[in-house]
Amino acid sequence: MADKLILLVEDDPDDEELTMRALRKADVANEIAVCRDGQEALEFIFCEGEYATRAPVLPIAILLDLKLPKLDGVDLLKRLRGDDRTKHIPVVMLTSSGEQEDMERAYAAGANSYIRKPVDFADFADAVARLAVYWGSLNADLTDRR
Amino acid sequence: MTTVTALLFTVLAMVVYDLRNYGNTVKRDIETQTDLLASSSSAALSFDDPRAARENLRVLHHRERINAAAIYNARGAVFATYSRGGVARQFPVLPGKEGVYVEGDQLVAFKRVIENNEILGTAYIRADYRFWQRVTDYLTIASLVLIAALLVAALMSLQLQAIITQPILSVAAIAREVVTRNDVSLRAPKTSDDEVGVLTDAFNSMLDEIEARRAEITRLNDELEERILQRTAELEQSNRELESFSYSVSHDLRSPLRAIVGFSEALQEEVPDLPPEAQRLFERIRAATRRMAQRIDGLLNLAHVSRRPLTVQMVDLGSIAGEIIEELRQRDRDRTVTTVVEPELVARGDPKLLRAVLENLLENAWKFTGDTPRPRIEVGTVGADGETVYFVKDNGAGFDMAFADKLFAAFSRLHANDEFPGTGIGLATVQRIVQRHGGRIWAEAVPDEGAAFYFTLGERDGR
Repeated sequence: MADKLILLVEDDPDDEELTMRALRKADVANEIAVCRDGQEALEFIFCEGEYATRAPVLPIAILLDLKLPKLDGVDLLKRLRGDDRTKHIPVVMLTSSGEQEDMERAYAAGANSYIRKPVDFADFADAVARLAVYWGSLNADLTDRR
Repeated sequence: MTTVTALLFTVLAMVVYDLRNYGNTVKRDIETQTDLLASSSSAALSFDDPRAARENLRVLHHRERINAAAIYNARGAVFATYSRGGVARQFPVLPGKEGVYVEGDQLVAFKRVIENNEILGTAYIRADYRFWQRVTDYLTIASLVLIAALLVAALMSLQLQAIITQPILSVAAIAREVVTRNDVSLRAPKTSDDEVGVLTDAFNSMLDEIEARRAEITRLNDELEERILQRTAELEQSNRELESFSYSVSHDLRSPLRAIVGFSEALQEEVPDLPPEAQRLFERIRAATRRMAQRIDGLLNLAHVSRRPLTVQMVDLGSIAGEIIEELRQRDRDRTVTTVVEPELVARGDPKLLRAVLENLLENAWKFTGDTPRPRIEVGTVGADGETVYFVKDNGAGFDMAFADKLFAAFSRLHANDEFPGTGIGLATVQRIVQRHGGRIWAEAVPDEGAAFYFTLGERDGR
């Protein structure tokens, strides 16, 4: 399943572990890569810096936290949308914010979906799982049909 | 007027004096003339020479005033006569007593001709007195003088006006201009060192004073304005800081909460067959974290309604209220609540924020009628002083009006949480929204009888 890579960009280790757990419990079998900040995610996606040697595979979906150190989630999204190689990758914004502005900013930058991380974790796990299954199990050429 | 009176009296006095003088002079003159005639006629009478007497008399034609003259002999008979212009005249048949008499407008004088103590005869002269003519002449002259004097006085007063009145009028004009143009930098020109000059100086120094005061007020005002601007900037700054603080706090507080809930659930899953007491404790953890999450959400929302720009439009409050009530019914299917929404209930305001107001008030009404036998919720308006007052009324638990002032403060609650759960932020949010619309909110309640929340949106009739 290495060709159906999902990238999770999340700086909070607790959230990362819980998200990973939710995905696993939803039987998402895809390989999941994790980056801690926007800069690292950018290097990972374009195989630069410390990721220069990794197999050049683009993720089929990105779960992107809104608030990230260094390069912010929305800024990263803009960079991805500005690049021909990544402009069609589905991006789901994850955030603990209920702010209308954040949501608008995310959609304006080209997010495909936006999930607010609820405190009630079961709901969140459901949402993440549904999305991961939806994006992850789709044919890889979905990105071209968008 | 006084001038005219004074002048009149002066003229009158002069006339009286002069006429007296004139009368005396004329009488004396005629008397002298008669004396002369008498003494010059003595020879003619002595020699009984009427021709000489007539010669004597003819000399009188040089005196225009004298109309007639005659010489009587010692027996009192006319001896010789003279008449001006040869006009035939009546002469007294007998000479009268010596002296000068006024007869109408004529003066008549008799004088005995005496030589060596012997009366030879009498000289008689009759002359025009012309007293009334004199009076008329005098009055004419006096009138002319009076008129001339008045004319001169008028001219002089005009001249004086130019000297005295003009500067006063110009001071008055400047005073008017100061008021109409609101310009205290104007000054009246000083033209003289007299009383008018003093007035001008006083007026100008008054303007100096006003100008100085005004400059002081302007300076204070500017200072105040600057201070207000500075304070406003400081306030805005601290407001922004507070908002971004509450924003990031809310975010940062949410993630550990998520971890607590998430990991306790994970733990529950990892340990199947948990004893019931452990299950119950897990539930307590979840409930507590959910409450905390709600409070954080409430705070975020409160910060949010303070910050979000208003988009004002006509809002159909009635249908929004209907939708909210329908949601509440769906959520709470076992409850039967009578609801009354005033038809065509509209308002001007921000649709999302007004929805939040109604949501909070209706949820409260719904919540606090939970134990009421025949619950009833009413949404409508009352008019007061041309202002529309909206209300949400219920017949639920109500509250003690003694605590009414705590209603709208964040996190303050009037009911125990196990009685009626809530975050204590809803009404604070409602108040913030109403205030942002320029309106007011207040409540009336009676414990166990119900509560009514009233609010205005700063709109007036005709808006």
